[in-house]
Amino acid sequence: MRPLAFAARSLRREFRHAELATLAMALVLAVAAMAAVATLAARVERALVASAAELIGGDLALGSPRALPTGLAEEAQRRGLAINHLAQFPSVLFANERSQLCEVRASDAAFPLRGALSVRGADGVERDAHAPPPGSIYADHAALVALGVAVGANVQLGGRELAVAGEIAKAPDSGNPFRIAPRVLMNLGDAEAGGLLGAGSRAGHRLLLAGDSDAIAAFAAWAKPNLPAGARITTVQDAQQNLRNAFERGEGFLRLAALLAALLSGVAIALGAQRFARRKSEEVALLRCLGARRGEILAALLLELALLAVPACLAGLALGLGLQQLVFELASGLLPGAPPELPWGPPLAALLVGVAVLFGFALPPLLRLRDVEPLRVFRHDLVARVRRFDVLYLLPVAVGALLVLVGAGSARLAGTLGIGFAAVALATLVLGLALLWCVRRVSTRLRGALRFGLANLPRRRALTLLQTGALALSLTALAVLGVIGPSLLERWRADLPPDTPNWFAINLQPEQEASLRERLQAMDASNVNLLPLASGKLVAINGHAPVAAEKGDRRAGDFIEGEVRASWSDTLPEANRLVQGRWFDAATRRPAISVEQVWVELFDLKLGDTLTLRFGDREIAAEVTSIRKVEWDSFRANFFLMLDPATGAELPHSMVASFHLAGDGAAPLAALSRDFPNLSLIDLNAVLDRIRDIIGRVTSAASWVLGFSLVAGMLVLLAALAATADERRFEAALLRTLGAHGRQLAIAVLAEFVALGLLAGGIAVAAAAALGNALAAGVFKLEGYTPPLGQLALLVAAAAALVAFAGWAGTRRIARTSPMAVLRRA
Amino acid sequence: MSDGTGSALYASEVSKTVDGPDGRLTILDRVSLAVERGDSLAIVGASGSGKTTLLGLLAGLDRPSSGTIALAGERLDALDEEARARLRRSRVGFVFQSFHLLPALNAEENVMLPLELDGRDDARERAADALARVGLGARRHHYPAQLSGGEQQRVALARAFVHGPDILFADEPTGNLDQRTGAGIGDLLFALNREHATTLVLVTHDATLAARCARSLRLREGRIEASAAAGEGETIGKADGGMSEATRRESQA
Ligand SMILES: Nc1ncnc2c1ncn2[C@@H]1O[C@H](COP(=O)(O)OP(=O)(O)O)[C@@H](O)[C@H]1O
Ligand SMILES: [Mg+2]
Repeated sequence: MRPLAFAARSLRREFRHAELATLAMALVLAVAAMAAVATLAARVERALVASAAELIGGDLALGSPRALPTGLAEEAQRRGLAINHLAQFPSVLFANERSQLCEVRASDAAFPLRGALSVRGADGVERDAHAPPPGSIYADHAALVALGVAVGANVQLGGRELAVAGEIAKAPDSGNPFRIAPRVLMNLGDAEAGGLLGAGSRAGHRLLLAGDSDAIAAFAAWAKPNLPAGARITTVQDAQQNLRNAFERGEGFLRLAALLAALLSGVAIALGAQRFARRKSEEVALLRCLGARRGEILAALLLELALLAVPACLAGLALGLGLQQLVFELASGLLPGAPPELPWGPPLAALLVGVAVLFGFALPPLLRLRDVEPLRVFRHDLVARVRRFDVLYLLPVAVGALLVLVGAGSARLAGTLGIGFAAVALATLVLGLALLWCVRRVSTRLRGALRFGLANLPRRRALTLLQTGALALSLTALAVLGVIGPSLLERWRADLPPDTPNWFAINLQPEQEASLRERLQAMDASNVNLLPLASGKLVAINGHAPVAAEKGDRRAGDFIEGEVRASWSDTLPEANRLVQGRWFDAATRRPAISVEQVWVELFDLKLGDTLTLRFGDREIAAEVTSIRKVEWDSFRANFFLMLDPATGAELPHSMVASFHLAGDGAAPLAALSRDFPNLSLIDLNAVLDRIRDIIGRVTSAASWVLGFSLVAGMLVLLAALAATADERRFEAALLRTLGAHGRQLAIAVLAEFVALGLLAGGIAVAAAAALGNALAAGVFKLEGYTPPLGQLALLVAAAAALVAFAGWAGTRRIARTSPMAVLRRA
Repeated sequence: MSDGTGSALYASEVSKTVDGPDGRLTILDRVSLAVERGDSLAIVGASGSGKTTLLGLLAGLDRPSSGTIALAGERLDALDEEARARLRRSRVGFVFQSFHLLPALNAEENVMLPLELDGRDDARERAADALARVGLGARRHHYPAQLSGGEQQRVALARAFVHGPDILFADEPTGNLDQRTGAGIGDLLFALNREHATTLVLVTHDATLAARCARSLRLREGRIEASAAAGEGETIGKADGGMSEATRRESQA
């Protein structure tokens, strides 16, 4: 026998049967889901790196509060990297007898190494540009408006007269929205000559580097131990944490959807393969009888499976790549400069997953065919004895576990799903046995078809448990895909409610507070929040010069070197939650301070520690009396440090306001800045729009994939159920011959399926709700999420009804066909 | 005998045609027969001669293309599938060549099936009695896969008789068994048949088994070739002696 030719012929003949079609469909689905999600994740990662490089203006940045030693730049050049020196400092510009505090960047001509600087000239035309030549500056729109000048005019900066050579339209930028002051770009030589970078200036120095990624990584490794004190390295991976977080969350959703789709496919494949094997056993017996060796038969079977797998995997791959292209287009607007080429690693991995799912779930029943006795041809009673346990059955479990481990991409997601599904299996076992016990008790008191149907359950105990388990797992997966996923996405979208503050006002004098409040009210501003703000310096922690904690990140350096800000309030401000200690009251010993969790991590703080802070000429040693957690994405004015109100009130301070203003608010805001000339307004609309845009696109991309998996999973589940219903068909035919009438069969089957469906459905609702909570808290970090139990119950009830209907429809067909089948079947 | 209501089974000019891949095929051609209550009829003939088809029609499992059949006094063409099912449940028993026990049910549960379908409360006790009668009282809780072919067929016999049918249809009941076991099953079949005074229609190509029926009918290519009262003498006499040697041995196994 030639196994390959034989396998090909068998496949052609047998594809008519539902089980191979189910197998193929499930495989297409599994590969499509995995390929789409893995490819998408890889592409988004690449795009993020590319756009992050654009944002920081290079592939690597070295920053320091003092000028960087020249050795660093020389070493970088020696390694073939492109370099760019930058300095950044606040400075006041003068023109037309006006002044404006601006954020100034001084750079050599190499700027920008990555991304584009685009400048609008006097003619209004935008051009790509490098840093301005000596004697000139570029300024952004806000600076030009504040100073009342146009391109071509002169301004004073650092005691020199400089020409405004262009208006900055777009610049690579580290993008901290909260430090938005008007921006100016000048030549580095001018800044050095004007003494703007000398000792005592507040300039930060940066060295930006660009080159191929290996050289960058090598340089970063070399530079780390050679950095002067206070200097730090920023990689593209550190940059753009906002965007990265959003995409990671989105990726989590996609991976979840893909995994569930793959697991559902596995269930369908296992059921299909079992059916296939059962039908195949007669043929195998015959072949054995005709002299085929076991090895040959196994080879032919595996080859047949492989022949089925190749086109199915390819079709799945095509479908998956199409799907990811669709989703990528949806999201690509967020990632300017995203590389268009397709990575080939993830699709290949998806193919491997497909093969693993197919063989992992299909192999156990097929391998058993090896043991079919040739004698079976003559004696149909020679059914292979059912072995109670077989290690082979661990194979699908192992493949499933591996899939979760590899596909989840995060230990948390893997753990949550793994524990969730293990719990479902365990609950099925325990509750299933309890149900069987009850049924056995109750069914003796029932009569007729109902009793007959229910009595079927304990009679086929192993099968009942297996089916309930498969059903409960599938329903759980469907409930997570259909209800939990969308409601988590909904919860995510609600992170930024419509009245999120979109304007900040800073530099307000304390005595202006009441009149500003009045004005804001007149302007119909909502969500108004006014807090005092004092700027100072961190002097000591527990009497010692502050040092960053081991696990503290680079922000610690910022706080040690730079300015710290504190506020105070009688009550705990909104979007703040006490984690430890108590909020200030009359009994608090002053001075006292409340710190945010981030500070606790950065400086290893605990309750009772003392922070020494200097505000102007006053030094305060405050005891830490509480620790807070702040929702930073609430877009309110929030503070790491909050002093007790009595202490705060004695400090020199200004006020900050955050508020929401509907529409663009141009006219009232213009009037506002005219009447409060010292006030600086910060527009957060652009940032908010960008974040909303990200969330919107990422969530809609995730909904697409969730929906796709849901529909496909439904189809596979139905096909699988049709298969089990079909198993009952012969039994129904026999009962029909013995005189059962149609209604009796229907009641019996319905009773059985409804009992199964109720049990599996109940487990699925509970499991999906628990998984929803665990996913929200542990994986997606969404607070205050409650799973929609009503929707869950509805979905599961609908699915269970569908299951019962499928079972009933499968058996009903026999009522319409002739019971002659029994006489004809060997 | 024109409408057949007097006989246990009556068929007049029954034909069956099927539409095959190569056009219409007549597999039964104008077959007429009658079996009186308590009588036994053997249908013999070569393989493919139409025996199973005829049996299916007589038992109401399928509808003839033309002709009329009456079973237990009821014209089958006047009944829909549901009504025929009800008739089978109360009046008809079956034995198949491949036993057709449900693999998921144990011996007792398989025998209970016809009683449960009828909604009887004493199903378990009666099934146990029936199994004891076929010599398998000790194997009640065994599953079909744990029983030999002969034992499975004895369970099937218990199932066929347990609800006291008026008429029993058997399609090659010994066809899947070795000669000795087959003979034992034959003995048991006829013994039960006599005890219950059941009308028997038996399809077989086993000449000795056929000879134990009161009458026999030979099919050839869908037509009745010969109909005869077959040798009562020695075979029936032997069956009178109760279980044969082989049956007794099997019941001890
Ligand atoms: N549904 C059918 N379609 C086509 N041919 C059939 C069908 N049922 C039976 N036959 C044919 O009718 C003939 C009689 O079959 P059957 O009654 O099984 O014979 P027997 O039981 O005597 O061996 C055979 O040639 C068989 O192929
Ligand atoms: Mg036949």
